[in-house]
Amino acid sequence: MSVTILETTLPNKSMDNTTHFGFKDVPTDDKQGLVKGVFDSVASKYDLMNDVLSFGAHRLWKRYTIASSNVKEGDKVLDIAGGTGDLAIEFRKKVGESGQVILSDINAAMLGEGRKNLINQGIFGVNYVQLNAQYLPFESNTFDCVSIAFGLRNVTDKDQALSEMHRILKPGGCLLILEFSKTDSELLKKFYDFYSFNVMPKLGGLIANDEDSYQYLAESIRKHPDQETLKDMVLEAGFGFCEYHNLSGGIVALHKGIKT
Amino acid sequence: MQHFILEQALNLLIKNGSIDIKPLESKVIRFTLVDQLLDVNFICTNNRIFVNSDTSASSDVEIKLKPIVFFALFKGEDLTDLLRQDKIHIHGDVKTAQLLVDLLSATELDLEELLSQYTGDIVAHEMSKTAKKIQQAVKQSSSPLEAIKDGLSELLIQPQVSKKYTNPNL
Repeated sequence: MSVTILETTLPNKSMDNTTHFGFKDVPTDDKQGLVKGVFDSVASKYDLMNDVLSFGAHRLWKRYTIASSNVKEGDKVLDIAGGTGDLAIEFRKKVGESGQVILSDINAAMLGEGRKNLINQGIFGVNYVQLNAQYLPFESNTFDCVSIAFGLRNVTDKDQALSEMHRILKPGGCLLILEFSKTDSELLKKFYDFYSFNVMPKLGGLIANDEDSYQYLAESIRKHPDQETLKDMVLEAGFGFCEYHNLSGGIVALHKGIKT
Repeated sequence: MQHFILEQALNLLIKNGSIDIKPLESKVIRFTLVDQLLDVNFICTNNRIFVNSDTSASSDVEIKLKPIVFFALFKGEDLTDLLRQDKIHIHGDVKTAQLLVDLLSATELDLEELLSQYTGDIVAHEMSKTAKKIQQAVKQSSSPLEAIKDGLSELLIQPQVSKKYTNPNL
C-alpha cells in the first residue's frame, strides 16, 4: 500500500524569540525565508559545488549512509531535504518496485533540480513532496527509513523535526542524519577553518556567483550541534538507540537512530 | 567500522536466506566479548539486524563471554555446558540467548555469493584481507562451513586471536 500524503496546515504561530542564521541572530520566524533564499540561489549549481568543495567526498559519505540504512526491497523511505536526489536514487534501487521512495525538500527549486536529475538518470517511480521537516504530512508509523543529509542544520526547530521523524517511522525503523559536525583533530580543525571561511566563499562566488550563501554554509556548520549533543537530541525525541559514526575525521558525522 | 562490517555481513546473510532471524524479532541482545573491543547490541527488527554500540540502552538479554568461548560456540559446543562451567555469562532471557547461539551454529552461507555482492562497495575494501583468507581456506578445506566460521570469527574478534585456532597449513 502506498504512502498517504496528508493535507497539513502549518501553524500560524509567531515566535518572539530569535534563532541563528549562520553567525547572525535573526527572528525565528525569518529563518525559513532566509534559508530559502540561500537554496534558491544555489540550486542549479548545488551538485557541482558539492563536488568541488568536498573534493568529491560527499559521494563517499552518502554511499556510507545508504549502506548503513539496511534498507531492503519493499521498504518505504522518506528522504528529507533530499535536494538534488543523490540519496533517493540509491534508495530507489534498493527498495525495488515493491517499495516506495519519497524525495522531499522545503525548497521548490531544489526539489525541481532533484526531479530533473532523477529523470535524466532514468529513475522513475519516486514521489516528490515539498514539505517542512517540522510538520511531516504523513501518518504515524509509516516509514522503514527516514534520511536527512546536510539538511538538519537548516531546520529552525530541530527538536520538533526529530520528533516528527520519530512519529512517522515504524517501530524498528531507522533514522539517518548525515551532517557536518566537529572534528577533534586540532590540525584538521585549523585547516578546515581556513578552508571554510577563506576558500569556500570565494569558490562559491566564482562558480555559483554567490559568495554570501557559502559564507552562510560555513557559519551554519559551526552553529550546528556537535556529535554528542545531536545524539542526545535524537534520544530525547524518543528513539530507543542512537549512535554516530565520524567520517573524514569528524568533519561529517552519520547519526543513526532506531525507533523501538 | 567494525560494527558496520559486522552489521553488513549479518544483513547480507539474512538477505540471501542463510539465516532466519524471525524468532529473534524485536529482541535486543547485548553481546560482549571480554578483553576485546566488541561490546554491542544486536537489535533484531523487521527482518534485519542493527549493530549498535550504544550499550547504555536496555536489552532483553546480555551475553558476556571470552573470545575463546565464542569460538567454542561456533564450533558447536553446548551452551548449557558452557554456562555450567561458568564460561559464559547470560543475564536476562536465556531463551533468546539460546536462539542466537542456534542461529550462529546453523549458519550456512555461500561465500562467493556473499563477496560478489560487495564488489565495488566500501565494505569490499575493508573486508578484502579477511575475505581472501577465508576464500583460500574454503577452497582447501574439507569442511568449508568450518573454514567460513573460522573466517567469521577472525572478522569478529581479531586476527591474532583466531589464528591460534586455524590450521597453520591452510
